[in-house]
Amino acid sequence: MGGNSYDAIVVGTGITGGWAAKELTEKGLKTLVLDRGRMVKHGEYPTALLNPWELPYGNRPTQEDLRHQPVAARTGYVNAQASKHWFVDELDNPYIEKQRFDWVRGYQVGGRSITWGRQSYRWSQMDFEGNARDGIAVDWPIRYDDLSPWYDHVESFIGVSGSAESLPQLPDGKFLPPMELTCVEKDFKKTVADKFGRAVIIGRTAHLTAPLAHSPQRGTCQFRNMCIRGCPFGAYFSSLTSTLPAAEKTGNMTLRPNSIVYELIYDVKQGRATGVRVLDAESGAHTEYFARVIFLCASTFGSTFILLNSTSNRFPNGFGNDSGELGCNVMDHHLEVGASALVPGFEDRYYSGRRPNGFYVPRYRNVGKDKRDYLRGFGYQGSAGRADWPSLLHDDALGAELKKKATEPGPWHIHLGGFGETLPYHENRVTLDHSRKDKFGLPVLAFDAGLKQNELRMRKDMAHDAAEMLTAAGYRDVRTYDNVVGLGLGIHEMGSARMGRDPKTSVLNAWNQVHACKNVYVTDGACMTSAACQNPSLTYMALTARAANHAVDELKHMNL
Amino acid sequence: MNRREALIRVAGLMGGTLSASALLALDKVYAAGEAHAATPKATLPSSGSGPSILSASQSAIVSAVADIMIPRTETPGALDVGVPAFIEVMLKEVYPQADRDRYLAGLTELDTTASSQHGEKFVALELTKRVALVKQFHDAAIGAERQLPKTHAHLQRPFILMTKELTLLGFFTSQAGATQVLQYVAVPGSYHGCQPLQQAGNGKTWAVEPGIAF
Repeated sequence: MGGNSYDAIVVGTGITGGWAAKELTEKGLKTLVLDRGRMVKHGEYPTALLNPWELPYGNRPTQEDLRHQPVAARTGYVNAQASKHWFVDELDNPYIEKQRFDWVRGYQVGGRSITWGRQSYRWSQMDFEGNARDGIAVDWPIRYDDLSPWYDHVESFIGVSGSAESLPQLPDGKFLPPMELTCVEKDFKKTVADKFGRAVIIGRTAHLTAPLAHSPQRGTCQFRNMCIRGCPFGAYFSSLTSTLPAAEKTGNMTLRPNSIVYELIYDVKQGRATGVRVLDAESGAHTEYFARVIFLCASTFGSTFILLNSTSNRFPNGFGNDSGELGCNVMDHHLEVGASALVPGFEDRYYSGRRPNGFYVPRYRNVGKDKRDYLRGFGYQGSAGRADWPSLLHDDALGAELKKKATEPGPWHIHLGGFGETLPYHENRVTLDHSRKDKFGLPVLAFDAGLKQNELRMRKDMAHDAAEMLTAAGYRDVRTYDNVVGLGLGIHEMGSARMGRDPKTSVLNAWNQVHACKNVYVTDGACMTSAACQNPSLTYMALTARAANHAVDELKHMNL
Repeated sequence: MNRREALIRVAGLMGGTLSASALLALDKVYAAGEAHAATPKATLPSSGSGPSILSASQSAIVSAVADIMIPRTETPGALDVGVPAFIEVMLKEVYPQADRDRYLAGLTELDTTASSQHGEKFVALELTKRVALVKQFHDAAIGAERQLPKTHAHLQRPFILMTKELTLLGFFTSQAGATQVLQYVAVPGSYHGCQPLQQAGNGKTWAVEPGIAF
């Protein structure tokens, strides 16, 4: 192999890029791993150990911060002083919103695996059958059984804390010990089981609640709940703590940061991709790298951008876009809807430690015999805890009385926030706009996607059911909320290069290969054929591991 | 014992061990933290560079109000931890111009009310009158804000409540507020979700609630 030639190229180092790098290098492939962002290694977390009094501005973003990260600010949390450095400067990296679309990006080695929410749920057979059952979009080309062993594989490696519940709509996995519910959450769990027959379970989260023998570099969770800053103990899964060190250990990985992949190189004679074109984010130099197989793991819209920007006589409308579906079917989970309440009693109960996790109410709508006036369903994430000093803003007390009140834990509150499935709509799409360029001179993405009737109908249930359960539990001041904000804010974007059985209606096949160019795999959220309502990262990881092992087999059999 | 040693000890106490590579990671965090700290930041930062936005007499009013809201008792108060300077930095760098303008107008209104009701500037009033005036403004403001729908958009929070919000924020995120008035453990090491109040540390409110930010 020459200086720029490898067995495999992986584009991206986030949740899926790290997994592709690990699997491919462990199977012996010399692999070039590219990331458009700066180098970060495990431990390089500048704010991870700062106490509240060591963060400037009370941890709030300044006006200057907001000027650089106006979209990230819509989340209300990511551009706090403790974590703003993990998110892009949006002035340098613009995009177009034909409809509001909250695209929250993290460009660095490790990507958004540093800042992800860590909630890790399997999808079920019901989710993979959904499109076929409902006759919408296209059928998933795989079923739960295809992915089940890969869920096992991923969970065993990353470590997922959770409880086994035997729920058909939320299959159990390989779990480390579960975290504990608070007193009020246990009370709520009992009411919801007794009166509604629904489950309330502790969140399943990619944290080590026990050591993992294969990853001695990782420690167990210390319950600081500062995860978004990066964990110096390596207690939650990220590419930096887990997959990239595993890939590095093989000696087969070449990791190159500051490498913006903007185009796939297509060889029409061979009918395959031969490599990628890279723009160096620091020097501006252009370089070509070559490999037998290419994995796009650049995030849903990062990978979609590369495909849309890779045009040729063979692929005039974007790479592998014979179906016209590339950039279409954009999905996210719709949220910002639910309810909260004040919980009387339990004044003599409290908790110690800061649990980086909450409870989860698995989907129950349109499950079994339940039938609603919309398709699919939603889950809730929530937590219950005691009010603290911010709640004193609207308290009458001032002076010494205010200080005294602050030392006494306030009343218990509980909150439920819905995560709803968004259907794949062809017209919810992202396109390339050549009229505007980013600071590297590359065209920008333009989003035109939004919620439709099915989601809006579902949201009525999401608010109503939350309030109904809280009321049934005897809680007070039950307040619902429903802020329709559009898509993106879930930061669960997916669907823009979907998998399917038919090359005429989908971009990728059952193995995440581009139908029309089998040595290109796309395994991030772009591949998703439907959205389910569970947090998707665990599924992305399982799909990536499965695809990487498929690629290795295909190379062995000289099929790529 | 420095903080690094303390952290290693905590991990040891919790039955865990830190491997050589974990220790290496911990050292990297310290190195990264030091590099990060090279950029301007402080506990409750002072006014920093550029012209101050509060005149001496305006600053005196802010200090007097913050002192009334969280006074020194057997524990430190707002003035001990530098809340007035914190408020000024927040006004200057965190709040937009419209909020700053409203803040300064409200501050002036408090002072003119003092003059019209008592014939003296706010800071010249005896303490009981200052407290009563702050209470009067405060109760009216929380009464009005409680009527609003629970949304953070365009609150138009008045001077008195912005001062309270920032005094609470500055004080309870300060070291004295977090550790002497409330309780704070940097590395809890374990989690107990449901225990008697008196067994949850010293039974006081935790300085940092886990909230729902997971």
